[in-house]
Amino acid sequence: MGIPMADTVVMTAPRVRPRLGRDEWLMGGGLLALALYLAVTLLVPLVIMLAKSVQDREGAFVGLSNFAHYFTNPALSGAIGNSLWVSVLATLIVIALAFGYAYALTRGCIPFKGFFRLVAMAPLLAPSLLSAIALIYLFGNQGALKDWLFGESIYGPIGIVMGSVFWTFPHALIILITALSTADARLYEASESLGASRWRTFTTVTLPGARYGLISATFVVFTLVITDFGVPKVIGGQFNMLATDIYKQVVGQQNFQMGAVVSLVLLLPAVVAFFVERWAQTRQSSAVSSRAVPYRPKPRSARDLVLLGLVSVVAAMILGILGMAAFASLAKLWPYNLSLTLSHYDFSAADGGSWASYGNSIRLALYTAFFGSMIVFAGAYLVEKARVAQPLRTATHLLALIPMAVPGMVLGLAYIFFFNAPGNPLNFLYGSMAILVLATIAHFYTVSHLTALTALKQLDPEFESVSASLKTPFYRTLWRVTTPMCLPAILDIAIYFFINAMTTVSAVVFLYSPNTTLASVAVLNMDDAGDTAPAAAMAMLIVLTAGAVRLLHTALSHWLHRRTQGWRRGG
Amino acid sequence: MTTPYLRIRNLTKRFGDFTALDDVSIDIHQGEFVCFLGPSGCGKTTLLRAISGLDIQTHGTVEQDGRDISALPPAQRDFGIVFQSYALFQNLTVARNIAYGLENRKQPKAAIRQRVQELLELIGLPDSGNKYPSQLSGGQQQRVALARALAVSPGLLLLDEPLSALDAKVRVYLRDEIKALQRRLGITTIMITHDQEEAISMADRIVVMRAGKIEQVGTPLEIYHQPASLFVAEFIGAMNLLPALLVQQGEIQLGQARLACKVNGFAPGTAVQAAVRPEDVVCTGRTNGHANSFHAEVQDLEFMGPFFWLSLGGGELGEHRLRAQLPSQQARELNLHPRDSTHFHIPAEHIRLFPDGYPHG
Ligand SMILES: Nc1ncnc2c1ncn2[C@@H]1O[C@H](COP(=O)(O)OP(=O)(O)OP(=O)(O)O)[C@@H](O)[C@H]1O
Ligand SMILES: [Mg+2]
Repeated sequence: MGIPMADTVVMTAPRVRPRLGRDEWLMGGGLLALALYLAVTLLVPLVIMLAKSVQDREGAFVGLSNFAHYFTNPALSGAIGNSLWVSVLATLIVIALAFGYAYALTRGCIPFKGFFRLVAMAPLLAPSLLSAIALIYLFGNQGALKDWLFGESIYGPIGIVMGSVFWTFPHALIILITALSTADARLYEASESLGASRWRTFTTVTLPGARYGLISATFVVFTLVITDFGVPKVIGGQFNMLATDIYKQVVGQQNFQMGAVVSLVLLLPAVVAFFVERWAQTRQSSAVSSRAVPYRPKPRSARDLVLLGLVSVVAAMILGILGMAAFASLAKLWPYNLSLTLSHYDFSAADGGSWASYGNSIRLALYTAFFGSMIVFAGAYLVEKARVAQPLRTATHLLALIPMAVPGMVLGLAYIFFFNAPGNPLNFLYGSMAILVLATIAHFYTVSHLTALTALKQLDPEFESVSASLKTPFYRTLWRVTTPMCLPAILDIAIYFFINAMTTVSAVVFLYSPNTTLASVAVLNMDDAGDTAPAAAMAMLIVLTAGAVRLLHTALSHWLHRRTQGWRRGG
Repeated sequence: MTTPYLRIRNLTKRFGDFTALDDVSIDIHQGEFVCFLGPSGCGKTTLLRAISGLDIQTHGTVEQDGRDISALPPAQRDFGIVFQSYALFQNLTVARNIAYGLENRKQPKAAIRQRVQELLELIGLPDSGNKYPSQLSGGQQQRVALARALAVSPGLLLLDEPLSALDAKVRVYLRDEIKALQRRLGITTIMITHDQEEAISMADRIVVMRAGKIEQVGTPLEIYHQPASLFVAEFIGAMNLLPALLVQQGEIQLGQARLACKVNGFAPGTAVQAAVRPEDVVCTGRTNGHANSFHAEVQDLEFMGPFFWLSLGGGELGEHRLRAQLPSQQARELNLHPRDSTHFHIPAEHIRLFPDGYPHG
């Protein structure tokens, strides 16, 4: 025995070409289908939009002349500066407030933490338009608190900043709470034992520990504000922003080429923000040492009092804005007759909205949640677990990351160009519910994809190997093991799709048809037509629905957890 | 000799520019228990994954039972596998885990139930079928993983460090258990380990690997007593390595001592490394009555229970240091103390010579 003689042909031995079994073919096919799906619903429309920006109305190539026109026309390019400074200002305010709030919830010893956390998350349930409408009621021409602005008008940058701060606050808060709760108590003990002052501990331990969270939150909020369409549309008045300009060019002037140019301009900061955010995310997660000891806050009365004051004020503002919207939807004739009525919830008299829109929104949300979570989970599974076609897996993963960098308006416009093209065999989708579902899934794909990936990465990477060794087809293991174990994450994804489909305006505002009007768009249109109270009523309907679904989700998660705790570790 | 059950030829695996396996060839026979042993990163897992088809090699062939399986996907090969992490399906009961591979084969339910019960008894967990994996200890989970792999009666069992996540006591117990099971079933088995004691106690043959290459293949006795290279000599068990000079065929000079040894192909006058196991250094007492011996000073004496560790130096050894293992009983009879000078004998067949210039030798 011993080592057998090495064959002499080793140098010229041919490369082994792995043969593919049924599993491999199916997985490869699935990946290909997914890549095609993402190409059709995302990449190709965006590329076509790029092309439109260098064409004239007849479709002839005109080089950069559209861009030249844009940048030499101050009425157009002025929006760039406006968008930038308003977004930066709103971002700074949100980050400061959210950091204080997150600090209070994670490091302070204050009562009612659960309540404060719940209140802070409430804006997630509302379309961004809602805050703008409420602000008009509070500070508008007939506003209750008009004097607080010292004669300045709420219509314009002030209103945009205030409204943006309201609806982006929870997005920043979630990231900062995560960043602050990964603190390592040992660092604090070390700092204390070295006799460092509290301020020094804060600047040398707390801030550096949260730095990637801060960077990440900053860029997320900045992107949300600069790409948001609802708030500036409702409260922006004559103040031009990039997102509203796209709408004006497309819907107002039917100038699609200029719409494409503005879209590209808007895409740029969003793409930069996307890369910075991704970079910060990876640093944040690798900064957490697995042996870290969780930090337990100790009471300190002066600090805790200040923190309690801060969260109370912020929570009161959030509740005030929500309460104002609710009241506006119920008051008979603001500000003259404040008796309560449900008549605004009967949209028959209002222009641009109806219960049918609400029904459409529910359908859209259900379809999006159902198909979206299925596509996203299957896609993430193939990207993470398929044993074949490594380049295709990487490409698909990159495709799945694109939506985060693409503003909703831009996606919507790209869909018009692509699906409305006369020669496109998919043209029949135009104006249907299906195109709204496709757009909404594409718009919110990235976060869902990353959620699914995180859940899948937590499973033992050898499940698929064991399954193959037992000659069990991969889809059986996917169905019997992987999916049940990822059910909580799948539920999270479904709810994320549902709520965003209910509240989104930007992507769908170009794509709805008379048969598929949506509640969120109805808020916009009713407000535009001067029917502000019904607009507020519709916005409240969205909030209530999203809230109810969120409650249902919580109940379902609890039930799921109880049912499965038999096999969960430590359960 | 019969044709081997598993015939691996010229296996090479590259990850980009990095060569993880370099022209590896091994034969494994029906019913054999083979251990892949080597330091971390030497390519053990890579070789196992090539054999299983989970990560197919870049070049080379694998034949199993006369069938060329080199390029086949794992589902078309015949093997069962157990991982260090167990990879048990957490949401299925122990019984469902074991039945997992059977349920796919359209067998009647009753037959599956009976087979699962058989296997549960085989692994000594007859009453745990309805428990979930998280309710079992690590050792029990590992046995369930083993049963799941064995359920479909594979021709080849692959174990990737199945015991390394367990604590020492459970390890030793499961070691015997797995070995007994393997004997009983007669299943050809490959186990990866980086624990030499585990390999020596379990394997029929050991494959010692280093940096993507096979360093030596042999029975535990061969590997231990006739290491083919300095690397193997050092890696397995304790070993003294002493620079020496080959003064003439069959004799080396070590300090001032001249010792006879077996010589394999060195020219007289060559500087060599002499390898001697501590237990092969025999203490012959204060008077010299032996051939092939030298006197040295006991510089240190460490009691280990059944034996003493001696550190030898001075005397004829000069600057050299030699560790010896002396049975406690003999140490008592000789009444050894530190600083004592005594004589030591090394049988010529236990001195092995390797070329100077480790670690490349
Ligand atoms: N997918 C991969 N891509 C690149 N390099 C790899 C990959 N898998 C393994 N390697 C490299 O190949 C070498 C051999 O790895 P392998 O896992 O086979 O080692 P091992 O002997 O099993 O080690 P251990 O005892 O640590 O498990 C290592 O240097 C490893 O870094
Ligand atoms: Mg390994």
